[in-house]
Amino acid sequence: MKKLLTTVVFAVVALLFTSSEIYSQRTVSGTIIDSETNEPLIGANVLVKGTSTGTITDIDGNFSLSVPSGSEELEISYAGFSTQSVAIGNESFLNIGLSAGQLLDEIVVTGYGSQNEKEITSAVAQLDAKDFNLGAITDPAQLLQGKVAGLQIYNRGGDPNGVSTIRMRGISTVGANVEPLIVIDGIIGASLNNVDPNDIESVSILKDGSAAAIYGSRGSSGVIIVTTKSGDANKETRLTYNGQIATSSPVNGISVMSATDFVAAGGTDLGSQNDWLDEVTRAGLTHIHGLSASGGFNNTSFRISANVRDVEGILLNSGFDQFNTRLNLNTKALNDKLSIDFNTSYTTRQSQIGFQEALRYAVLYNPTAPILGDDSPFPFNSAQFGGYFETLGLFDSFNPVSIATQNRFDGDRQEFNYGANFAYSITDALTYNVRVARQSNNYEERAYYPTTSNFRGNASSPTRKGLAGFYDESKTFNLYETFATYLTSFGASNLTLTGGYSYQQENYDDNAFSIGDFPNNDLDFSNIIESAQDLQNAGFIGAASNASPDDKIIAFFGRANLNFDDKIFVNASLRREGSSKLGVDNQWGLFPAFGVGIDLNQYLNIGPLNKFKVRYGWGLTGALPSLSGLSREIRNITNDASGAVNTTLARAANPDLKWEEKGEHNLGFELGTGRLGATLDIYKRTISDFILERTVDVVEFQVDRRYENAGQLSTKGLELSLDYDVIQSSDFTYNTGIVFNTFKTILDEYVIEKETRANLGAPGQNGTNVILVKEGEEIGQIWGPVYVGVTEGNPDFEDVNGDGVLVTGQDKALEDDVDFKVLGKGTPDFEIGWTNQISYKGWNLNAFFRGAFGHSLVNTFRAFYEPQLSTQSSYNYINTELAVEGLTTARFSSLYVEKADFFKLDNLTIGKNVDLPGDYFDNVTISLVLTNPIVLTSYTGTDPEPSLVDRGPTDNGNSNANYYDVLSPGLDRRNNYFSSRSIAFGINLNF
Amino acid sequence: MKNLSKYLIVFIAIFGAYSCTDLEENLIGDVTTEINVDGIDTGGGGGSGGPLSAAFSSLRNAGTANHGGYYSVQEIPSDEMVICAKGGDWFDGGILIDLHQHTYTPSHAMLNGTWVQTYGAIGTVNEALAGSLDPNQNAQARALRAYYYWRLMDLYGRVPITTTPGQTGVAQATRAEVFEFVESELLGALGISEVSSSMDLSGSALGTDNNPYLINQFGALGILSKVYLNAEVYTGTARWQEAADAASYVIDNGGYALCGAGCSVPNLAKRAGVDTDPEMLEGYAAVFAPNNDNNPEHIFTVNYDEASAGGMNFVQMNLHYSSQFTWNLDSQPWNGYATLEDFYNSYDDGDARKKASFIQGEQLDFGGSAILDYASDDGNLVLNYTPEINELTPNSLREAGARPGKFSFQQFGRPDMSNDYTIVRLGEMYLNRAEAMSRAAGNWNMGLDDVNTLRARANASAYTSLDAAEFLAERGREMFQEASRRTDLIRFGEYNGTWWEKPASDPSRNIFPIPSEQITASDGTLTQNPGY
Repeated sequence: MKKLLTTVVFAVVALLFTSSEIYSQRTVSGTIIDSETNEPLIGANVLVKGTSTGTITDIDGNFSLSVPSGSEELEISYAGFSTQSVAIGNESFLNIGLSAGQLLDEIVVTGYGSQNEKEITSAVAQLDAKDFNLGAITDPAQLLQGKVAGLQIYNRGGDPNGVSTIRMRGISTVGANVEPLIVIDGIIGASLNNVDPNDIESVSILKDGSAAAIYGSRGSSGVIIVTTKSGDANKETRLTYNGQIATSSPVNGISVMSATDFVAAGGTDLGSQNDWLDEVTRAGLTHIHGLSASGGFNNTSFRISANVRDVEGILLNSGFDQFNTRLNLNTKALNDKLSIDFNTSYTTRQSQIGFQEALRYAVLYNPTAPILGDDSPFPFNSAQFGGYFETLGLFDSFNPVSIATQNRFDGDRQEFNYGANFAYSITDALTYNVRVARQSNNYEERAYYPTTSNFRGNASSPTRKGLAGFYDESKTFNLYETFATYLTSFGASNLTLTGGYSYQQENYDDNAFSIGDFPNNDLDFSNIIESAQDLQNAGFIGAASNASPDDKIIAFFGRANLNFDDKIFVNASLRREGSSKLGVDNQWGLFPAFGVGIDLNQYLNIGPLNKFKVRYGWGLTGALPSLSGLSREIRNITNDASGAVNTTLARAANPDLKWEEKGEHNLGFELGTGRLGATLDIYKRTISDFILERTVDVVEFQVDRRYENAGQLSTKGLELSLDYDVIQSSDFTYNTGIVFNTFKTILDEYVIEKETRANLGAPGQNGTNVILVKEGEEIGQIWGPVYVGVTEGNPDFEDVNGDGVLVTGQDKALEDDVDFKVLGKGTPDFEIGWTNQISYKGWNLNAFFRGAFGHSLVNTFRAFYEPQLSTQSSYNYINTELAVEGLTTARFSSLYVEKADFFKLDNLTIGKNVDLPGDYFDNVTISLVLTNPIVLTSYTGTDPEPSLVDRGPTDNGNSNANYYDVLSPGLDRRNNYFSSRSIAFGINLNF
Repeated sequence: MKNLSKYLIVFIAIFGAYSCTDLEENLIGDVTTEINVDGIDTGGGGGSGGPLSAAFSSLRNAGTANHGGYYSVQEIPSDEMVICAKGGDWFDGGILIDLHQHTYTPSHAMLNGTWVQTYGAIGTVNEALAGSLDPNQNAQARALRAYYYWRLMDLYGRVPITTTPGQTGVAQATRAEVFEFVESELLGALGISEVSSSMDLSGSALGTDNNPYLINQFGALGILSKVYLNAEVYTGTARWQEAADAASYVIDNGGYALCGAGCSVPNLAKRAGVDTDPEMLEGYAAVFAPNNDNNPEHIFTVNYDEASAGGMNFVQMNLHYSSQFTWNLDSQPWNGYATLEDFYNSYDDGDARKKASFIQGEQLDFGGSAILDYASDDGNLVLNYTPEINELTPNSLREAGARPGKFSFQQFGRPDMSNDYTIVRLGEMYLNRAEAMSRAAGNWNMGLDDVNTLRARANASAYTSLDAAEFLAERGREMFQEASRRTDLIRFGEYNGTWWEKPASDPSRNIFPIPSEQITASDGTLTQNPGY
């Protein structure tokens, strides 16, 4: 429904821009009525068939349209009515009646096929290109942000090289991959990195278990099905150019003291005045260009595209250049019985990953410190540090400008994939498909820290200066699937049967090494590593490599879709799947799903409604962590001092390890009138036997780690989407839509009763775990003492349990008498997205608002650097309005847990269709997109968006560990990129 | 419908395509028990260094000389070391202050870490014992395992005794039972039924060759001497005579010698620009130097190496950030452990052990210039380690406290050090004998000879009489930084007393709590110690 309504609105918008100056045209007018009631239809879409020229009817059902010469037919469409084509002939006035009753069927892509929208019995949302977020998009996931109820997409800060965290209905598993399965043009397990936003036609989101179960183990976290644009057979080749130029700037830096305030507050004065955040950020310039050609001849259609994205981040020396090409080809053979689809794409991305750490150190660096060593107030050997000043002898403190400018950290990703699908119609009823696909992904990273870089280059040390890091990774994914679809009908009922076999194999390998101690800084010695003195000294070269075994998933699946008289719809599927990762006796799992939907309006015939569907679905899916050897004993190779090699146990075996299962019930209601569409989904999901590496009895296993089926999580939630055409007149339309979702995840069972996670880290807040995980309670609770005041520089905490004894030591966090409280939670209570599309006389305006409410964030910047530590006056102090005067001790407490509710104007687009003389261009659209222009929040950190996954602490120039803790949402760590806002100017040309 | 059945057959055929259903997981990027890399016997864990290589290597990783494990929980709760909170630095949720003030709880992370490391090491030894060992190797492995159980008994009291890999349902033994096990294993390795002055070790599978990285008869006796010295604490029954006899046997028959005058090694910390840096380290200082291998006093040590056998991190744990420039260190230190002022002051100035044990005073860089700490918080830029510590928390000065430096540092040192760490050395045997004899006789002067032998080596004046308090102080001076102090204080009944920023504690603190995480993981097999 939503699609239809928005189609209308967009068509209207498009029509408003339509030229009236083109030569050799004539005007056709007419009236559109409901053929049953003879009432005029307001806002019906009238289009010259095969063009984008059209209009909509006014309040009396009248229209008037300039029709190019040679046009033969008008196409009339209206929500809830059958689309009708009418020959124009020589008429100048047409009276057209549309018949209702026949709902327009939208085709929704589901697993291994597609269905009419009305036949769907599960929670599925489909977005088309026109629904996507616009602007300088760096990651295809951003297209969908806030658009689908229950789909959380957050890219905290907005690092152009960062990857969005995507969650469908919250976390679906603890140890496994919690990101949804991506399916691009039927190829499962594809990567969103390899599709340019310009090439996406539509995205279908399978939210619940009954829809996703056909994908078995990989569908547990939801499925995102991407369909790329394709050409039309027998059409002239059309060219489209999309161009954008954008500039972005930082928003919401972190409030720190100016040099003057810092000195007044007792800070060590080094004589200069610098705004370090300013020194390491910039206005980032982005260019995006996309060119595509589509068309076809005879039985063949094609679309070919090339896209270039050149993105500069707001942090100095961060950004990427991406080049992506894609070819979609379809042809028919054997008397049109065989349809062949071939898709291939190639993406290369050169990233300047840069150093987020420069932002972190910009926050805490002494604002009176000079940038250059020559401006030092005391004798300083500038040459040793490449000319930059460094605060030597201080823990975790590096000159931010030196970090951002002296060092290099680049990534280079090459992705190539192809897929071919052969569909053979054995009979009209039976189609047989074979699908073959392969993806390969090669990634390399290069880091170079010259001998003069204090940050990782060891410049302050007299020995072993300079470091070069190398990392290479290669992934391949092979897919072979075959399935058959059989259609039959019994009277007014239709039955579709699908059955097939799927073989997936993934292989992965990587290697990393680091080497240092270079002669000097005259050359980039990462290209001449034979010069490294590390080669002369044992034990300094870092090296590691990994390779996965053949990670295989083999599955057999079948599905039946039953349509009783267009009134009752039943879908059932079964997948039997085996994985090479599990214990030998538990490799195979069975994943059934069932769904039923009833179009109640067919029985009730409630006046204004043209849709009233109730549906229920249940499905079982599985999940596995991405590591290999989960069920096996893993050993580390170690050395003794003589150089002899031995091994010790690193992880104990668990031959009983079995599938983690997610069962999900979903009850949905869909309601539609001509102007209003509403969908309500209520769900409950239970994740049982989730797989987690846990502490086991070291006495028995010799090591305290192994993978176990460790507990059960359950989530209850509600999602609502509303879409309403507020105004529909010939020169003014306003459509608005809201998506709303709320859910709660409870840890029903866990191997331990309670634990704390998410250590704050150094300096001084190790052993300070701030997230409580407790059986029977919601996940993501922030846990700690309650700040009540300050005495002699020290924080006072509340005697929460009132027993007169204050127990606030972190190692007592789990004791019964501890005076800790739940200080907030990391996941929002609810999230909304609010779309507004307005068109008025050739202009259109799209305003998209987004908000999340009820979540808190631990502002770690404040927790470490806001107290004015008398002993550490060489760091800058954070200075938000929440700063407490006289507090000189850093202790985690409620003081640093902030409500992070926000409501933001996420995207504001103003567009206009421009009429150009001549017939060189079909149409030209120009647009201006503001991204993130207004953010309303009380959060004092850089970004109030929920932090759904914790990456652990980093300090003193160390790198982030490869670690993602989904049980610890709610930490705004000191390693986040700062968020930005951007203005983009775009142009779309159709030739 | 006729067609339908035909098509159903097609479907069944597809479903029946079980031809490609091989799901075997051939790990190629991990080492598992089934995989035998040439020379690496993963099953036994021994590896190319012989079947005991992994077992003895486990000492390095069992918290012996790094932060967060056995060393930390032995030293920080004692009166010889402390980690103060320095503004934002080193508060760490209060767990270090909890150790200092004996307010630790079952969820203390370091107590859990120590448990896991120690049982992990025992697991490695058990793997070695499950492989094929000759009698000597078997005896060594059992002695090493007994040493680990001694650590566990000393720390946690009641612990489970597991002796084979994968043993399930192991009950928690009483402290007395663990004592009995440790004693019988060591006696078994020595081939004797009891320790006495007239014991005959000729039947022992253990050798007498001096390789301090392995356990010979003297290493096993040294461990036994520690066990007997504390027997009264563990079982209520004193075993002074055996403690004295074991130590005496080592002193008389081991062929080891105190490292005194003339026993020296090149000073690897010597700065070209600092004339006062000696060329050689002699005597007591040489016992613990970076190049202390083959020291005549070493009986059983852990073999650390900066490149191949890491795990000793005192250089990082103890020194101020700016001390990087004194030793040309590869990495910036962490500024954590310091010595209590009273402990530092308990040494006579002429005592060679004072200079050898601490880094104190104004610090010079490798060129002989004063090291400036531009982030200094005491108003004086020169880095100056003061014996005085202004406060425990929250704002201890960054340069307060003399720093432990007995396992001394070297120029161009790395984060991992090469010093061998002493577990049994001759000096301690003198102390054990002196104390055991004195206690057996009820007269502390019985130990005068042995104590004065050690004092003479350190150029400290000889005692003419001794009492318990003075003996404890003297033992502290000799054994500083050797993870002995907590055990000694408990044996002398002083652990619950008061010292700087440490109030009196309850006797139940003498045994650490069983880590709550382990109680959970054991599924009810483990129960908590009294008082927690």
